Amino acid sequence: MTFLLVITLGLLFVYALYFAAQTARIGTNPKDFLDGGMALPGWSVMFILPAIGVAALGVERHLLLVSRYGLQASHVAVGLITMAVAAVMFWNRLWLAARLAGLNTPGEAIGRYYDSIALRVIMMGLCVLFALPYSANLLSQAALLVQQATDGTIPREMAVWVFALSMAIPAIIGGWRAIVLALAMEAVLIAILIPGIMLFGEIVLPGDIFPAQPMRVDDGIFWDRIPGVLQGYAGVGKNVPTGGIFTTVAISSTAISLVGIVLSPATLYLGQTARKGHAFGIGAVWLTGGLAAGLLLIAVPVLAARMPTGLVSHAGALAAIVPLAGVSVILLGVMGGLFAISFFVAGGALLLFRELIHTYLLPNLTDRGQRLGARISLGLGFFLLGLMAAFMPFVSAVFASVALPLALQLLPAMVGFAFMRWISRGAVLAGIALGSLLVVFTEPLGLIIFEGLFVNLPWGRWPLTIHSAGWGLAINLLIVFLSSVATLKGPDMYQRSRFHRAMKAHPPASVARSGLLWGLAILWGFLAYGPGAVLGNFFFSDPIFTELQSVMGVPSLWVWQMLFWLFGVVLVWWVSHSVGFGRTHEVTGKPMRLGMPRSMRSPDWISSGLSRVLNRSGNVPAGHPDKAPVRVLLPDLESKQPDVKPGRGKTRVG
Amino acid sequence: MTEHDPSGQLERLSRHGLVMAIWAPTVFVAAILFHAGYIYETNWWFAAAFGSLIVAFCAHIIVNVVLKTGFTAGEIALGSAILVGLTLAYLITILTVSDILVDRLTVPIGLGLGTLVVVVVISMVISFGPRRAFEKFDVIRDNNLRAASRLPHRGGRR
Repeated sequence: MTFLLVITLGLLFVYALYFAAQTARIGTNPKDFLDGGMALPGWSVMFILPAIGVAALGVERHLLLVSRYGLQASHVAVGLITMAVAAVMFWNRLWLAARLAGLNTPGEAIGRYYDSIALRVIMMGLCVLFALPYSANLLSQAALLVQQATDGTIPREMAVWVFALSMAIPAIIGGWRAIVLALAMEAVLIAILIPGIMLFGEIVLPGDIFPAQPMRVDDGIFWDRIPGVLQGYAGVGKNVPTGGIFTTVAISSTAISLVGIVLSPATLYLGQTARKGHAFGIGAVWLTGGLAAGLLLIAVPVLAARMPTGLVSHAGALAAIVPLAGVSVILLGVMGGLFAISFFVAGGALLLFRELIHTYLLPNLTDRGQRLGARISLGLGFFLLGLMAAFMPFVSAVFASVALPLALQLLPAMVGFAFMRWISRGAVLAGIALGSLLVVFTEPLGLIIFEGLFVNLPWGRWPLTIHSAGWGLAINLLIVFLSSVATLKGPDMYQRSRFHRAMKAHPPASVARSGLLWGLAILWGFLAYGPGAVLGNFFFSDPIFTELQSVMGVPSLWVWQMLFWLFGVVLVWWVSHSVGFGRTHEVTGKPMRLGMPRSMRSPDWISSGLSRVLNRSGNVPAGHPDKAPVRVLLPDLESKQPDVKPGRGKTRVG
Repeated sequence: MTEHDPSGQLERLSRHGLVMAIWAPTVFVAAILFHAGYIYETNWWFAAAFGSLIVAFCAHIIVNVVLKTGFTAGEIALGSAILVGLTLAYLITILTVSDILVDRLTVPIGLGLGTLVVVVVISMVISFGPRRAFEKFDVIRDNNLRAASRLPHRGGRR
């Protein structure tokens, strides 16, 4: 199997290299290297969205959880519907805002809208978090899988560096467009492999199919039902929940944490750099809500029942019959990780270059200079990734656990940016600060540090079976709503209102439909993965309206999941096509200016620091941009700043 | 002129990426199924392998329709070369391997290759109509490379 596996992984590398070379050969503007000319093919974005959702769950991790906890863990996949709804709504508004106000990156969009450097820094922090520890953890796991599959012929460290190099080279050659084109194929392959391996295994392997042959879970775990709405449980590492950890509250908070992957900078950037058209809608409705969620809810339990000890044993069983089939099982596990790694490291490196280097350190770079800088950033990013994955797998795993929940803390900021003008900068920052604190202290990162330095905390990871994302978001939303009420009439309301007025000129649809949408979404969420989901435990096996028992041959919860998956697809369809978020149109007219004008020179403290390093005498050569006078258009800005009448809060343009 | 047009080249690259994203995974799946057919001695695996190739071909046609394009010269050349190569390999295999293997492989692979040809012909008839589909194979009509041969009164009907 080793030889075939190496050949297959080599072919993946050749494929990415081929498209990188093809992209590089086209004589487009060098700046397109960073953003694909803001016109990525719609089909590629369409294919990548569901794979990002699957990557958020983690192919190998999700299979292991389902084989260990049964259908209660599989229920989390319903969260892909929520993720699809969030993606289509935020992508649509961000895409529009990028064209209306000439915003290049998600960090710039949020930072300029709220006029906050802190939010840009937070976005950069998330870029680093997803590009390094999160991706390094995935890379380490993928390399470990290869080591196990090859019986140590390819050691973990070697696999880490080979993977890092094989992802870096195409990215450095081809840039954002080439990466996206290669990832789109991997997304299709993942979508084919999940049901393909499941069907193949059921045909060639002996034994009954799930649910006739249920998962071999530990004693006391309910594989076919959800263990209640909430449990008085101190958290992982403190005590053991009854019947399993996936209560409805755990499922809903984990499902909502999947929205964090949509709010990760690289995913927002993908939507921002797409071409206009129907891609968001088709990708969200049919491929994410329909295909990906359906595969995870239907195929994964069947597959997981066959692999109680993980992918390697199943691969070995299939390889004994058809070697290439065994390879495909390992390929599924490895590629699920490599897909996310390539996406987040490349996206993160490009965004960090644009947000940090090009915006603050070297704002006068030419287009060719930007391309070179981006290539260096990509190389550095993949090198650091390899370093972390090879030598710091434990640290990577600890930091990776907070990536999704921390990204979710941007939800109020994005909701304010896209829909609710009354959410203010102060409220958003306060919410993020407190929400993040709660996330950190309900995940291993905070627990290990605090308990190592001070005393043991009475709670562990995910207390009361609530995911850290749920804890953080709850306090975050509370703070944001309370603070926004207090800052409703603040002077920065003017800019937000101006921006939302411009956005309203391109509405997705009518208000009436949006109202109905929210009603439907809440009802669906309550029954699909909220407290109402416990009804699914026995709803179809012991109906409440009769004393008869139905004999379906499948667990009632599985039927409930499929039913609400189908309702969920209708919900995403409603958001995308009926309300209209799934479609983007040409934006015409003069672009508006949001926030302060772009500075053409580095901040003084940075330029003086750089000059000390580069030019010890401190003489800036004549003609250097730093020699030019500061070009901040304050008078222009002041002329458009509103006058705020004390006590009344009404604004008027001066 | 169009060769130096970046936007046109990007469109072609985008379409090429989509076509490859369809074919690459399908060929991998077909390889697994062929391997299974060879090992299991069951014709259904071969049928599934050829079926997956036909599905990819149909998806390629859908791409052409959606993007309002046709098969490129490179795609036609590659497809024809692969089909001819496979047919030759099939014939050579039948002539050289043992009788047991011939008994096992002749019918499923022969039928599969034949089905591929039939699917291609049907798709051409649907896309172009019977007459224009036939003209695609009429190389004698197009063997005069002089520019004047393209004039209608000289019989050129390209």
